Amino acid sequence: MFENPEIAVDDLPKAETVEWQDMDPKFARRKLAESAIAFVIIVLAVVILQIVFGVVLADNGAPRLIRTLLLAPLVLVVPLFAWPLISVPKKGYAVRDKDILYKSGVFWRTVTAIPFNRIQHVEKSSTPLDRKFNLASLQLFTAGGSGGDLQIHGLPARAAEKLRVFILDKIGSTLEKN
Amino acid sequence: MIFYLGKIFKAISQNAVQTLAPGAVFLFAYEGDLMTRIALGLTLFCVIVISLAFIRYWFFRYQIGADSILIREGVLKKKQLDIKFKRIQAVNTTQNVIFRPFDLVTVQLDTAGSAKQEGYLPAIKSALAESLKARLRDETRADDTPTDEETDSTDASRKILSLTNFDMVRIGLSSKQALIILALLSPLLDNIGNRIKKMVDESALLTVLDNAGISIAGGVSLAITGILLLLLLLAGASITGAFLRYYNFELRAERESLRSTAGLLTRHEHSVSLNKIQSLRAIQNPMLRFFKRFRVRAKQASSGKRTDEGKQFIVPLCDLSQLPQLGAAVFADEFPYLNLDPTSSKWRPISRSYIRSRLVLFGILPTIAAVSLFYALIGNAALIFLIWLPLCALAVITSYRKYGYDIVETGVMLRRGFLGYQTTAFLHRKIQRISVTQTKLQERKGLATIRFYLASGSLRLPYVDFNMAKDLRDYILYKVESSRFGWH
Repeated sequence: MFENPEIAVDDLPKAETVEWQDMDPKFARRKLAESAIAFVIIVLAVVILQIVFGVVLADNGAPRLIRTLLLAPLVLVVPLFAWPLISVPKKGYAVRDKDILYKSGVFWRTVTAIPFNRIQHVEKSSTPLDRKFNLASLQLFTAGGSGGDLQIHGLPARAAEKLRVFILDKIGSTLEKN
Repeated sequence: MIFYLGKIFKAISQNAVQTLAPGAVFLFAYEGDLMTRIALGLTLFCVIVISLAFIRYWFFRYQIGADSILIREGVLKKKQLDIKFKRIQAVNTTQNVIFRPFDLVTVQLDTAGSAKQEGYLPAIKSALAESLKARLRDETRADDTPTDEETDSTDASRKILSLTNFDMVRIGLSSKQALIILALLSPLLDNIGNRIKKMVDESALLTVLDNAGISIAGGVSLAITGILLLLLLLAGASITGAFLRYYNFELRAERESLRSTAGLLTRHEHSVSLNKIQSLRAIQNPMLRFFKRFRVRAKQASSGKRTDEGKQFIVPLCDLSQLPQLGAAVFADEFPYLNLDPTSSKWRPISRSYIRSRLVLFGILPTIAAVSLFYALIGNAALIFLIWLPLCALAVITSYRKYGYDIVETGVMLRRGFLGYQTTAFLHRKIQRISVTQTKLQERKGLATIRFYLASGSLRLPYVDFNMAKDLRDYILYKVESSRFGWH
């Protein structure tokens, strides 16, 4: 028998009352390591330009503007290292019985909700740097593929694996029900 | 035999470019007089094309199984395709002039999530295509409606709309291509006009001084006539295109699908099962607004690529009174109070803060940056960038006015636009995921931006009440998670 009881909007489960799980604290360190590598590369590039072409510091006729621009990467240091410390604490996820929520963003704070019965497949991946810190990221695919699929970075490797199995289990059970 | 001929014709057109290259190379290499060269080249070309066509034909095999279609093709690189009936989104057939006397059609099968047409059956008997369509219809019905005894009585197809020859002119004049061509050509036209004027100027100066005025006027009118002629030519081309593609357009609603047939030389038949439609969109560009008509697109699941034009069911032209009929044909009775009319009073406005934030972001900040940057270079002339401000304000206010939304029990309707209008309706249960975003400013004002992700693409509803956004999200999640029906 088909039933359709009336539902008061206030009685619906509220997505904002969930307890958010923070990202692994190691994720911030991983991001910092990434920044450090990027920084080293930039410095190396500037140094090589200086040694080989001598354009950065020597006053050899290269336009002043170009020389200033070459020094600009050095100014990037501050945001490069501050950003992970600001952005990582803002990220978080929550798993409910029927969906998964993910929040992120410093200036644009976004909360995304994906019902399990809309997930097509799940992908777990980890870069060499991720593995060094024992982390993994999970990518959840829904149909259509528009606007990029939801990616959750910086999960502890164990948790990522558990979550993957849990979600696959959920997809399977919703399929059986239909 | 006919089948084989059709296949060859098809393959000739497909392979023409590839086969031309070696032929051309050979022609240049061969030493002899021109006539023998051409004769040799042509023969070689024909032989290559026909043999290639024959080989391709020979290696193309298909088989219609119990629940899937098996296609095997390829000469050197073998390819085998297995398409499940259940996964097919839409069946399109085209019949070009060559195929028509042989009663052959080309069938294309759309599946979800690939940019290209996946299944492709060239030159099969139209009766077979019909039976294939019937099969697919049965398949989707058996899947979703367990009570098909009741619906059997409405098996006959129902005509929703057809287009007249005059409508073809409207389609031609309002098509996007016509607008793009115009936009591209307008600077060029300017240029030509200027050049003619200059030429006339110079010649006038050189020859006779006293009747210079008349020749300048003559030159200008010449330029204008030229431009008008070009415009007419373009409009003519666009209208011809519309006739070729949409001549005799007819839209029919069948039990579980929509079907359109159209085309002057090549007949296109497009059919889509209703539950594969993700969203319904009515578009009205300035030209269509002038004609008081809409273009309607029923979007299917897509891979999000730009080349996905084929993944939508298009009704090129309909008027205001036909919009609700189309909506009813697509959503049946699942979408009460469906309203795609952009001028109706039901649309709820978004917050006025939208104007402020857009103005700061796109108007004031860039202007300050531009003025201060160029002030050092060109001095007071940099103030010319202030013109951007009123222009930007006008644009922001226009687009603010065009935003609108309405939410009913089973679905969402969105309206946006700039010069024209675009209204979209979709069911809650078709939503794949949903996100609510707040900027710092929105947080202070208690506002948020909602983004709905459908299998056919994502849609944004900016600057609405944060609490409303949260409630809507919770409601939609509840709807999606408890719905008996899937999204496909």
